[in-house]
Amino acid sequence: MYADAMALPAFAAAPSEARTGGRAPQTPMNEAKFEALYRRNAASLWSYLHRLTGNASVADDLVQKTFFRFIRANPETESDDHTRRYLYRTATNLAFDHFRETKREREVTAAMVSNGETRGTGSDLRHDMTRVFTELKPRERALLWLAHVEGSSHEEIAEALGVKSKSVKVLLFRARRRLADVLRKHGLAPQELA
Amino acid sequence: MSDACRFESDTIAAAKSGQWTDTLRAHVASCADCSATASVAAWMDRIGRTDERTHKLPDPSVVWLKSQLLRGTAAAERVSRPVTIAQVLAYFTVAAGWAGFLNWKWEIVQRWMVGVSAQHIAVNAASTSGVSLGMLATLFLLATITVVVALHTILAEE
Repeated sequence: MYADAMALPAFAAAPSEARTGGRAPQTPMNEAKFEALYRRNAASLWSYLHRLTGNASVADDLVQKTFFRFIRANPETESDDHTRRYLYRTATNLAFDHFRETKREREVTAAMVSNGETRGTGSDLRHDMTRVFTELKPRERALLWLAHVEGSSHEEIAEALGVKSKSVKVLLFRARRRLADVLRKHGLAPQELA
Repeated sequence: MSDACRFESDTIAAAKSGQWTDTLRAHVASCADCSATASVAAWMDRIGRTDERTHKLPDPSVVWLKSQLLRGTAAAERVSRPVTIAQVLAYFTVAAGWAGFLNWKWEIVQRWMVGVSAQHIAVNAASTSGVSLGMLATLFLLATITVVVALHTILAEE
């Protein structure tokens, strides 16, 4: 599985690299630099992918693939923030590729609700929240997670999802309305202003 | 330039903390975007905090090592690609060569196959007017190429 991430032909890797700025590779990354980068980003990236895919082991795979691609591309990133955006962009592309490849987004969504990982280890609250969240489409989940949990700006969200920055406002608005509707449906009234 | 409402981050912060100022409350009442934001911000904050941030991820040194191994595999595949292409071309060339040869000299080959004994072949080969030096050379060349391609395939796989 990991071999796929590294052995992608150039034409398959090029679009995502081009979309992330198409910067020329810089000096080779060493292990110490990678370790710092991994420790800074891996946990939040995993949470994002976990919520997006609804499966902990898929999130594990995709996190590793994300870093494999990062090491291979070795992009010239100007700052930690830019590196983070690059990683989220790659992770989002990989997650959507995963959905396309498996063509079983609905099953994944259903599995997320009913599988042991959420039922066995989590509280009822977590289980309910998971069920509510998985009723949204993957892109809506990604939008809401990036905006609310990661605190990403509209530009960062646009870069991560490969959409125009101006579209994010509308997409985010719709995703929020959808979530509010789902919350109402489950008797979890969206917060009203105090 | 961001298209987001300039109060969006304030709205998220207020919805999380429950501390609303009058100005912000008035703004949210009149802004559809911020109203939608306010309606889900607290819930999103909760789901973000209940997520399994403590999930055990592989050690970075393991991920680094895997990436180096995979990089080596990918490089080896890149290097061996021309050889693989040449091998496939050789298979096609050999197959086409034999097909062409049999089509060209099918009658003589058929006659050989009827009297298939060493003595018969030697006598026939000497006496048959259809057998030319060119044909024998072609046969020898095709047989040699076939053996070389077969040996290369076997050795490469080993």
